[in-house]
Amino acid sequence: MTATVPVAAGRPPRGRRTRRRPRTRTLVLAAVAALPLLLALAGPLIAPHTVDTPVTAPFATAGDGAPLGGDQLGRDVLSRVLHGGTLLVVSALVVAVVTTLTAALVGCAAVLRPRLGRVIERTADIAILLPPLLGIMLIALAWPGGGRRAVIVAAIILGTPYAIRVVAAAASPLATAGYVEAALARGESTAYVALREILPNLRATVLTLFGLRFVEAVYVISMAGFLQIGPQPPASDWSLMVRENASGILLNPWAVIAPSLAIALLAITVNLVTVSLAPDTTAKAVTRP
Amino acid sequence: MGVTRRQLLWAGSGIGAAGFLAACSGGSDDSRNAGSAGADGKPRPGGTLRVGALGHASAITRDPHGTQTNESDYLVIALVFDTLTIPGAKTNTAPRLSASWESSADLKTWKFTIAEGAKFHDGSPVTAEDVVWSLKRLRNTPSGAARLPGIQAKNISAEGTGTVVVVSDYANADFPLMTRFASFVLKKDTEDSAIEKAPGTGPFKLDWYRNGNARLVRNDDWYGPAVHLDAIEVTMFETPQAMANALIGGQIDLASNAGAVAARTAEAREDIQVLRRPDDMAMPIVMRTAEGSPFADERVREAMRLVVDREAMVKQVLSGYGTVANDIMGTGDPDYAGDIPQRERDVAKAKQLLRDADFDFSRTYELVTTEDIAGLADSATLFANQAGDAGIKIEVVKQESGAFWEKTWKAGDFYTTYWGTNDSVVFYASKTMVSEAGQNEAGWQDAGFDAAYREAISTDEPKRRATALTELQQIEHERSGYLLWGMADGIDLAAAKVQDLPKLAGYGRVQLEGVWLS
Amino acid sequence: MAAPGAGAATAPRRAGTTAWGVAVRVAGTVGRRVLMLVVLLALVFAAVELLPGDAASAAAERGESAADLAERRHLLGLDRPLWERFADWMTALPTGDLGTSARGQEVTELLADPLPNTLILAVSALVLTVVLSLLLGCWAATRPHRLADRLVTHTSTAAFAVPEFVVSAALLLVLSLWTGWLPAVTVTGGDGRPTTWTMLIMPVLALAIPQTGWNTRVVRGALADQAATPHVEAAHLDGLPPHQVMLRHQLPGAVPAIATGIATSTGLLFGGAVVVETLFNYPGIGAVLAGAVAARDTPLIAGVVICAGAVISLVLLAADLIRDATLGARA
Repeated sequence: MTATVPVAAGRPPRGRRTRRRPRTRTLVLAAVAALPLLLALAGPLIAPHTVDTPVTAPFATAGDGAPLGGDQLGRDVLSRVLHGGTLLVVSALVVAVVTTLTAALVGCAAVLRPRLGRVIERTADIAILLPPLLGIMLIALAWPGGGRRAVIVAAIILGTPYAIRVVAAAASPLATAGYVEAALARGESTAYVALREILPNLRATVLTLFGLRFVEAVYVISMAGFLQIGPQPPASDWSLMVRENASGILLNPWAVIAPSLAIALLAITVNLVTVSLAPDTTAKAVTRP
Repeated sequence: MGVTRRQLLWAGSGIGAAGFLAACSGGSDDSRNAGSAGADGKPRPGGTLRVGALGHASAITRDPHGTQTNESDYLVIALVFDTLTIPGAKTNTAPRLSASWESSADLKTWKFTIAEGAKFHDGSPVTAEDVVWSLKRLRNTPSGAARLPGIQAKNISAEGTGTVVVVSDYANADFPLMTRFASFVLKKDTEDSAIEKAPGTGPFKLDWYRNGNARLVRNDDWYGPAVHLDAIEVTMFETPQAMANALIGGQIDLASNAGAVAARTAEAREDIQVLRRPDDMAMPIVMRTAEGSPFADERVREAMRLVVDREAMVKQVLSGYGTVANDIMGTGDPDYAGDIPQRERDVAKAKQLLRDADFDFSRTYELVTTEDIAGLADSATLFANQAGDAGIKIEVVKQESGAFWEKTWKAGDFYTTYWGTNDSVVFYASKTMVSEAGQNEAGWQDAGFDAAYREAISTDEPKRRATALTELQQIEHERSGYLLWGMADGIDLAAAKVQDLPKLAGYGRVQLEGVWLS
Repeated sequence: MAAPGAGAATAPRRAGTTAWGVAVRVAGTVGRRVLMLVVLLALVFAAVELLPGDAASAAAERGESAADLAERRHLLGLDRPLWERFADWMTALPTGDLGTSARGQEVTELLADPLPNTLILAVSALVLTVVLSLLLGCWAATRPHRLADRLVTHTSTAAFAVPEFVVSAALLLVLSLWTGWLPAVTVTGGDGRPTTWTMLIMPVLALAIPQTGWNTRVVRGALADQAATPHVEAAHLDGLPPHQVMLRHQLPGAVPAIATGIATSTGLLFGGAVVVETLFNYPGIGAVLAGAVAARDTPLIAGVVICAGAVISLVLLAADLIRDATLGARA
């Protein structure tokens, strides 16, 4: 789900009448999305044990003191799951925010400056040839000790070209719109036109883009974590837990299932909420080349 | 002493550990556990053994004198080719292609006699020239100096057709030990391009080899004892859990070096035997002893050794599949000083020692580790946690393997290392502890230790040697830069029908020529 | 989306319809793809160069001195300038020579068996993905806004958000370790291929499930787009049965978008293969790559990248041509 995430071309917003009904739904959905996010962020506060002290035998099955059993060192799986999402969520948010912002700004400018647009096209064309995971491996390994920061930077670098393309594709019909041409004719600067005339009409696209970027970031960061790029033992991290505990999957399946479920739930809820908040844009997004 | 150290420790650790420990500590009296116990009949010839071994597709090495990081490659090579000597049970060096060996009085000149009737797979007899050529080839590889320490290529020569003479630069009573792992013998003048199909002298011939997987068939003309199996099929596995899953699913008959977690998974199953080869892997923590290191003060090192909870380490890191150790490397040596009292956890005393030594409690110390072998990073994590009880702040830093060996190893103040050769105290003394040792991991220099070491290797008179070795181990126990909390067992899993599996630690696990299927 | 993404920004290409024109256009497309592959390789070569340590130290053994290491470096040619090695490597490429790995093995030889294995895996997963996503997408599209549609949309959205290793762990537990239905790992025979086809099932599923999620959405979205076009609306008004409208009118129009979606899946399949192959002990290039990165084996990493890049380029090229052909036909 790399950035190929074709959130592309949303149509210019159709006006206010379509907004009403989704508002209540928005609230409900936001609450649904907030739940796993909240759990991921506030988990450390409610964890019964510390993340690094063994409380039971390695891969002990669920029992007293450890409701989900022990991990490979006999540490409490539940506590580690509760601790293990915070950094993942924060990292994914950073990636999604930076990528979306950059894409929104550069993408709008790109439709006004064709040369910039072509450079971005070519960059994205090359980036698509590099399977994202391989890209992450290279960048993260080139920066030893970069840890999580390296993965975040890698995810941003690899994701931004596509995201810009998505915004540019959505913005291109607007570039020829009357009010934009009028502004250009008035002699307004590129920055002014991009920020004042084009961007406000891309709200739905940008929102969808943000949601999909977040899901994408969760995917990429957890895949990298599984390959032990980024978070390092003894950190508690969902993807790392899946890997570390895979050997004991038959002794205490929860050590693998619990963090897997956590990742899946996080990604799924955010994804579903994104789709529900901007169903039209997303559907278009998927189809518009 | 009537009770061995190991029995004592098993009794001790059994109390704290859960049921699984009781299940696996019995070892000898559990019929499922020991291949030999089930061997009530005569070995039955025939059959194909399907073996799983660990390895990475990117690291495949076919050259017997290359650097084999893949266990699967080493296994194939060791079954097709023979080394001069092999690890043994009663003495740590046993004969193989070399039937016997003797040294000059000054322990510098060693003569190896080639086994009677030794032939290559193409039928030609093994001559001293072949062995000399092979040893020189080994010596001339980039890692040759480490593999044949103290031997220059020009000092390897043939004497007649059946004897090879090797002259060491210094007296070395334990030189034959060094020929156990890599002294594979090929035919003289084998081209590098022909290495992959070169005939060996071993108990099995190569049928095919492909991407780490291989099929070997019995060599009926082998000069050694009868080989029972018709064939061995080797499958390479990227991860221990994939290998364990294959064994549980019946896709292989033997999972070599599968690890403790796999063993626990298999313990509950009647159709799988769990074989434990004690003293397989040492995972010591290295504390730099040189000036400028926070561990330069002997008392700080002593405190670290007192703060570790050895039973807990064995229980949590090794799942109980291992033994507590006493900060002396080479626990499998017949000359191991088992009578030196076991160091126990004493946090109060550790704190006192640290205060005496003006240890800086406000600092956070970085303990560098890698994930090269299972449990290594876990041991660092758990130790850091235990050290917290004495107010010592330790942060575990996991390094990528390549960076670790290049930057941290031999240079860092505080790191984990690991060694797979544990049946010789002298091996460690010579390689990692004597002042001039090339791999002095802790930068340790101790005049008393050096003297004891020199005394030990320059004599073959048993009593003097024993005294010197005891002295050496006592000093190592007290002052070295090592914290050796325990020894991991080597663990193989096998289907119930597999008999007479290897029992030796380390490279001994490749000795599959005596195996048979019931 | 893929290359033609900018199509919306630039004027639609209406190249000549003569044979010559077609040839020029195809050659241009191919040339562009090749050029991009070269740029990518240069980038990867440089990136690997930045990795700490190098192949000489990675292949070294404990106890080697600095001099031994220098010699190993020299043997591997690592003491030569970067651009010189890159030039050598690139000029040897057309002959099928991918250079020598850090351990002195021919890269071509190291990849000779794994690449076809990965292709078997990826192609099977891709075919499954295409079939499933077309079926699900069409099924949902013929029932817009009904329960089935929402179910398919939400399930596919959920599926594509889940990383492959999570899918793999679940499959392994359910289909093999708990039930014993399928072999847990892949065992390879003397021909370098998995010994039974059942060993492919779990790896293929692990790769196909997330991609099916993604492509179902692509198909569903593209069909919705088509449903709104005048000729489809006209077909409905003519009283054609829904499945005929779907097959004759909606689906053909949606082909370019679907082709592009599937092409982008190819890259993701390669990424997923790294994880899936390791977990199932599948002997493909993903497993080779994981080890090669750890060993900083530049020629081997570059070899894997060029293989993956070449395959992805081919698929993208096919998507380009399909798009050109369909758009051309309808123009």
